[in-house]
Amino acid sequence: MEKDTNSARNRHDEKNWLEWLIFCLSLLLVLGILGYLVFQVINFKPTDPDVYAEATLDPSEHAPNRYKVKVYNKGGITAEEVLAEFILYKAGKAQEKSELLVAFSPKDSESEGWVTFSGKPANADSVAARIVSYKSP
Amino acid sequence: MNVSTLIGNRPVKKSLKEYARGITGGLLFSFPLLYTMEMWWAGFSATPVQLLALVVVTYLLLLGYNRYAGMRPGVSWRSVIIDSVEEMGIGLVISFAVLYTLNRIQPAEMAFSEVIGKVLLEAIGVSIGVSIGTAQLSTADTEAEETGNDDDLEAEKEPGNWGMVVLAFCGALLIGGNVAPTEEVIMLAVEASPVHILMMALASIGLSVIVVYFSDFKGTATQHGKDFLFWLILDTCVSYLVALVVSALILWFFGRLSGVSFWTGFSEVIVLGVLSSLGASAGRLLIR
Repeated sequence: MEKDTNSARNRHDEKNWLEWLIFCLSLLLVLGILGYLVFQVINFKPTDPDVYAEATLDPSEHAPNRYKVKVYNKGGITAEEVLAEFILYKAGKAQEKSELLVAFSPKDSESEGWVTFSGKPANADSVAARIVSYKSP
Repeated sequence: MNVSTLIGNRPVKKSLKEYARGITGGLLFSFPLLYTMEMWWAGFSATPVQLLALVVVTYLLLLGYNRYAGMRPGVSWRSVIIDSVEEMGIGLVISFAVLYTLNRIQPAEMAFSEVIGKVLLEAIGVSIGVSIGTAQLSTADTEAEETGNDDDLEAEKEPGNWGMVVLAFCGALLIGGNVAPTEEVIMLAVEASPVHILMMALASIGLSVIVVYFSDFKGTATQHGKDFLFWLILDTCVSYLVALVVSALILWFFGRLSGVSFWTGFSEVIVLGVLSSLGASAGRLLIR
């Protein structure tokens, strides 16, 4: 009787090569992720978001005075509702202002966007980028 | 133990069918979450400690579910452990594949931590779905073929009190988890008056009682005889408490309890508790 029970138990516990293969791959994946997380836990420093923006001229057919902007977050946590402001300077004088709202800027991330200004770009133009505000999620 | 003992002669076709059921279950139970933007946001906002805790809790839940509601009676703890690892692995792969297809992750452009966060967070629901799918989506014929005896299966699927708590936990997480990350929970909580919150609490308890004792729902209680009232009260209380604990834990994870007053936090837990309690009562019976 006991032998029958053991035999039934063994039958239910049987695994074929495919199941062992998937188990091994899964184990590697889970252990890899656990290892990565443990490493992150040890090295994690919950610093504030450190957000900044850059703009480079990127004209298009319909928007000749368009700038491609990138918003970076080099801080330790995500920044939410990042408001970036871009001021166009012509001959050293502030001429026009554009804004870009980024919903989320995760840590170690870069978000892309575009801002446009009126008129045509001139060689002497420059754009100053500044982060106006953001909040923690 | 030699290799031939380890590698049995279980047909590969059966395994493939089982994986297909698991993947179907994983997608079925987790698609709402995979399409929820608050889940993607939470993926990159979560700290490594939170993510690590999440992996551990998910694995423990899978162990509990596979132990108390698994498909094959007589299965050993070794198999339960192995199956749970497999389900987590499959959950991670499905989560990655779906998020990649939906363009929610771009491994070449995003920080690794962001990709991992999003994939891990979505993988919880998928893994539990895979586990449930593997156990529940088979036909009676397949189950009988696998187990050899329906009575054995039913006997094995009669979990004790602790088993029911584990299943209630899984059910509450599965149902409540679909809504917990959304803004709607906090909106309902802050806009509700105390009367509404009380009504929600009473409705949750009433639903649990109806589902478990008066609806002839699949797997509902029919025994307990003369101690009926005692079991009704105990079962309802435990079920509702599990639902509230799960609700509070999920809300805490998504940061919905930080920076709010006690009353707002309490209201949020009760609001989510309506769904979680249904998961803890009806859900636990369905996924058995």
